[in-house]
Amino acid sequence: MRFFNLPPQIVRLILLIFAILVSYLVARTLLTPDTFRDYGFFRGAALSEHISQHKPVFAGKAACGERHPDVLKTLAKGSHKNLSCEACHGVVSQEHLKDPANKMLKPTPQICVRCHEASPSRPAWFKQIIVKDHYSDTCFECHLPHQPNEAP
Amino acid sequence: MTLQLTSILAEVAPHFDGYVYPNEAGTHPLWGVLIVLYPYITGLVAGAFIMASLVRVFRVKALEPVYRLSLLTALAFLLCATLPLLCHLGHPERSYQIMITPHLTSPMAIFGFVYAWYLMAVLLLELWFDFREDFVKWGQTEPGLRGFIYRTLTVGVTDVSDKALALDHKLSWIISIIGIPSAFLLHGYVGFIFGSIKANPWWGNAIMPIIFILSAMVSGIALCIFIYMVLSWLRRRALDVRCLDVMGMFLFYALVIDATVEALDLIHRTYSAQEGFYVMEFMAQERLFFTLTIGQMLIGTLLPLLVLGTLQVARKFVPNGIRIGLYFTCAVCILLGVLAMRWNVVMGGQFFSKSLRGVMSYKLEFAGAEGWFLGIILLSLPFIILTVLIKLFLSERMPTSGHVPHRMDNP
Ligand code: HEC
Ligand code: HEC
Ligand code: HEC
Repeated sequence: MRFFNLPPQIVRLILLIFAILVSYLVARTLLTPDTFRDYGFFRGAALSEHISQHKPVFAGKAACGERHPDVLKTLAKGSHKNLSCEACHGVVSQEHLKDPANKMLKPTPQICVRCHEASPSRPAWFKQIIVKDHYSDTCFECHLPHQPNEAP
Repeated sequence: MTLQLTSILAEVAPHFDGYVYPNEAGTHPLWGVLIVLYPYITGLVAGAFIMASLVRVFRVKALEPVYRLSLLTALAFLLCATLPLLCHLGHPERSYQIMITPHLTSPMAIFGFVYAWYLMAVLLLELWFDFREDFVKWGQTEPGLRGFIYRTLTVGVTDVSDKALALDHKLSWIISIIGIPSAFLLHGYVGFIFGSIKANPWWGNAIMPIIFILSAMVSGIALCIFIYMVLSWLRRRALDVRCLDVMGMFLFYALVIDATVEALDLIHRTYSAQEGFYVMEFMAQERLFFTLTIGQMLIGTLLPLLVLGTLQVARKFVPNGIRIGLYFTCAVCILLGVLAMRWNVVMGGQFFSKSLRGVMSYKLEFAGAEGWFLGIILLSLPFIILTVLIKLFLSERMPTSGHVPHRMDNP
């Protein structure tokens, strides 16, 4: 076997390197996980595998809307339209889901402050107040939680 | 809550002094003895290779008996170099994924490339060119499995004409020349991994790669002396004292340069006394006293410097038997000293708080993924591999064309 009169060692080495490269490429196509690089330098499926290990705790806006279509509608009119019910009411309890007679606890004004207290870390477009300078801390007297631009 | 807190404090408190951030106040540092072994083993590889290149590139005739031995030593240790890292990560069975999804920007992932280059393009090639003629011969004379192994290793090239052998020699020389910067790269890279961590004043240091390379050369030469002597004793063969003297001489030179650069580093740190110096000083005096002052400085540097230095001057007046014993002692001291140095680098960087106001400590455990038992197993693995390699390629029985210790014809 003589290519271009190359010495036999060199020919063998070139063939060997070629064989290693080919087997590497074959191994690579066979062994690279399917979802690799879907989102970044990792196996995309790792995310869904990880998520599926956890049970969801939030019921979601649609589930609340089945029983409270009116609130859903009013909420959609105001500037709180993008908030989910559970952001203010907390995770819906199993008892409440089974029997509406088991009422959820009503949110306190504390919940408003969590989002609206002025903070330099919040974006400027977001409406913020300095709570101690803002009338009083019983927010619901002047703002309707589901329609914050409306007064009761 | 209070109960939980007090139990955590009771468990953690004895491990630190001063002010430590809550996330640092664990019982174990993130990196343990396995990460200490990783630079140690890679350093031995680079050092043993540089030792071999003294013969090939710098044509030091006296060292010829240990040429093949040191190359095989480098190979045996290189094969184990990644094991500590893989065991530390906890999923050695996933190691192939590193290769099939190579990452090009992570400094840790680049080690894969450096390693592959060094193993495939340098060490294996140089060994192959050096052994090729013997493989052809042994493949014809040896029966059974042995013969089959040698025949496979020829990769089908049976040309041993003078012209072919001259080419082997030339190529092997070229590879050696490429190999020296590669060996520097291999271990300089390990130093870079630590030196580039600029948030940690113990590590973030531009001369870290240089210190690593120099200490690697020292430890590699010491390892070759150690293995050569042990092998000769096991085989009950006489040592080539001239070869030992020359190895001792190079060991001394390497040690002088290494000790100077490390001392410069120390002086620079002490004089500039940058932020964090005081906590490091405290740590070095308290937490690292045995490994730094006793292990690295006294046993690993000063003692061998003194003994080897004296031997350079007064070699004629020291009888062979004592000289051999002294070389062996120095080799062992240096091997321990460099291990202590790796410990000081890796653990030292984790022993002080990022607050620069407190230090942690850590007791090495016996069992577990970061225990010293696994460390010893990993450290003995290269010696087992080397035994197999020596049995296969440096057998006393088989005639050779290359440079080997204890050749049949020279007693
Ligand atoms: C901005 C926070 C906020 C959001 C978002 C919100 N709520 Fe409310 N909700 C309140 C507060 C505060 C009250 C109590 C008002 C009060 O005490 O007068 C309330 C009261 C109610 C009540 C009346 C409870 C009662 O006993 O009278 C219902 C029903 C209700 N919310 C359903 C919903 C549903 C369904 C959604 C989602 C579509 C939703 N809420 C979204 C803050 C919110
Ligand atoms: C989960 C975060 C969140 C909570 C809790 C919350 N808000 Fe809001 N609020 C918003 C967002 C988002 C907007 C709309 C963005 C904007 O216009 O700044 C908004 C807007 C408003 C506005 C301005 C309406 C306008 O159009 O000028 C008022 C007033 C308001 N909220 C009052 C309240 C009150 C009262 C509560 C307590 C019941 C409350 N918010 C609770 C997020 C929240
Ligand atoms: C006494 C009535 C009153 C009470 C109580 C009250 N607000 Fe208001 N709030 C107003 C009025 C009036 C405005 C619009 C004029 C202004 O900005 O002063 C307003 C404006 C706002 C705005 C919009 C600010 C902007 O930049 O446009 C937010 C957000 C808000 N209130 C949140 C709250 C929260 C949260 C509470 C409870 C801690 C609360 N308010 C209590 C009367 C009230």
